[in-house]
Amino acid sequence: MTTYAVPTMGRRVATTMRVHLSNPWTLLFTPALVTLGVFGLNFAIWHVVLFAAGDKPLEPDAFDYNGGATWVMFYFVVIAVQAMNQTFSFTVGLGSTRRDYYLGTSATFVMLAVTFGVGMALLAGLERLTDGWGIEGRFFAPAVFASLPVWQLAIIYTLALALLMFVGAAGGATFVRWGSTGLIVFFGSIAALAIALSFVITWGGWWQSLGDFLAGRTALELAVMTLPIMVVAAAGGFALLRRATPRG
Amino acid sequence: MTAVIEAKGLTRHYGKVEAVEDVSFSVQENSICGLLGRNGAGKTTVMRLITGQEFASLGEVHVFGERPVENAAVLTRTCFVRESQVYPDSFRGKHVLRAAAHLFPNWDADYAARLVEEFRVPLGRRMKKMSRGQRSAVGVIVGLAARAELTLLDEPYAGLDAVARELFYDHLLADYSANPRTIILSTHLIDEAARLLDHVIVVDRGRVIIDADADSLRGTAVTLVGAHAAVERFAAGKDVLGWEGIGGIASVTLTGLSDAERADATAAGLEIAPVSLQQLIVSRTRNTAQEVHS
Repeated sequence: MTTYAVPTMGRRVATTMRVHLSNPWTLLFTPALVTLGVFGLNFAIWHVVLFAAGDKPLEPDAFDYNGGATWVMFYFVVIAVQAMNQTFSFTVGLGSTRRDYYLGTSATFVMLAVTFGVGMALLAGLERLTDGWGIEGRFFAPAVFASLPVWQLAIIYTLALALLMFVGAAGGATFVRWGSTGLIVFFGSIAALAIALSFVITWGGWWQSLGDFLAGRTALELAVMTLPIMVVAAAGGFALLRRATPRG
Repeated sequence: MTAVIEAKGLTRHYGKVEAVEDVSFSVQENSICGLLGRNGAGKTTVMRLITGQEFASLGEVHVFGERPVENAAVLTRTCFVRESQVYPDSFRGKHVLRAAAHLFPNWDADYAARLVEEFRVPLGRRMKKMSRGQRSAVGVIVGLAARAELTLLDEPYAGLDAVARELFYDHLLADYSANPRTIILSTHLIDEAARLLDHVIVVDRGRVIIDADADSLRGTAVTLVGAHAAVERFAAGKDVLGWEGIGGIASVTLTGLSDAERADATAAGLEIAPVSLQQLIVSRTRNTAQEVHS
C-alpha cells in the first residue's frame, strides 16, 4: 500500500483555494469583466450626457456621484454565496474536512478582496491621472472617496470587499445547511436586525450623537471599524458549515 | 490482516426514518468489498458515515483507527465518488481533473489521461452538459486515478455502456493489483461486479443482512429442483431463502448445505444448481420484504 504523510494544514488550505480557482473564470475573470463592463456602461452614459449637453456647460460635479463601484462591491456577496454553494458539496463530497474547506474558502475570499480592492484603487489612481478619463468622470473613487489617497482607497476597498464576501460566506453556509429557506431567513434576519437596531437608536434618541460620531471619523477609520462585523460573519459561517452535509 | 474500517452499532436516523440501524461490520485492508442492497437500503448513508460527511445518531465508525468526522488525517487518504456527485456549474471535465489532482496526494495524472482516452470523455464539455454516462466516466476516472488508500465508489457507473463498464472492471482489477488499496463498491449490477469482490456486505432496510467472504458466499447457496414433496421434505428445518413452485415441481434456494447434505439431495432425486450472487441477494432481500408485509 502506498503511504504518505498527511498534507500540512497550509497545503490543505491551498488545495481548497486551487479547487476554487480550477476554473479561474468563476472568481477572477468574470468578476473583472463585469467590473470593467459596468465601468464601460457608465463611461458610455457620460458621453451620452456630454453629447446631449452640447455646448452648454455641465455642473463641475456632474459625474462625481456614481453608484457603479458600489454595485460591483455588492456583486461580490453573490459571488461568495455561489462559490460556497457550488464547491462545498464537490470538495467535501470527494473527501475534505469542512474545516479545511472553510479555511481555504476564507483564504480565497481574502485573496479576492485584496486583488479587487487594490485593483480598483489603482484604477482610481489612473482615473485621477487622466482627469476622470478625460471627462471628469468619477467611477472608481466617486464622491467622498475622490479626495482620498490611493493607498487608503486600497485598504478601504479591500476591507469592504472582505466584509461583503464573509457576509456572503455566512449566507452560503446557511444555504448549504438549510437550502433556500435558510438563505431567506438569513437575509431576512439581517434586515430585521437592522430595523431593530434603528428602532433602538431612535428610541434612545441617539441618531444625533451617532451621526456626529460617524461624521467625525475618516472613511479609513470607518472601514477598519467594520472588522468585528467581518469576524462575526466569518465565525458564524464556520459554525453553520460545521454541521452541514454535502448534497448528492 | 488489519481492518481499515470498523463500524460498531452505527445508526443514522432522519427524524423517524431509520436510514441506517445498528450496523456493525469491518472492512479489511487491501480488499474489494461490495456494499450491496436495494435502492434506499442505506448503502449511500453508510458510505457517507464512513467518510464523515454524515453524522452518526448512535454508534461509531473508525477508519484507519480514527473517527473520520473532520479528521484530515483520515480524509486525505480517502476518495469518495458517487453517482450523484455534485459538480460546480462552471466546471468542465478538465476542471474536475485539475481539482482532483490537488485534492488527492497520490493522484496519477498520466493514468488519468490514459483513462480519459479510453473512456472517451469530452474534457472540454461542461459537467452539466455531459450525458449521464460521461459524467459517470469522469467520476470513475477520479476514483481510479486518485489512488486513495480507501476508495469508495457509490454506483460509479450508472449510465455507462457495457463496453465502458467492462473497461472499468478491467482497470479496477489491474490497477488494484498494481496498487493494492481498500475499495468499497456499491452497485446494482451484482453479477457483473461479482468477480471483482473479495467480500460482500448486503444491507436491507438499514441493517446488515449478509456480511461474508464472496467466495464462501458463492459456494453456500444452491437451488434444488425436484418433485414438490421431495423438495419440501428436504428443505424442512433448513435456511430457506426462496421458494417457487409450478405444478408438481418446486425449486427452493438454500444456504449452508454441507457436502453430506448435497449428497442426500442428489440421492433424493433433486437437481442441484448453483446460485449466483445476484440471485442470492435478490432472494434474501425479497424475503425480508415479504416477511414485513405478510
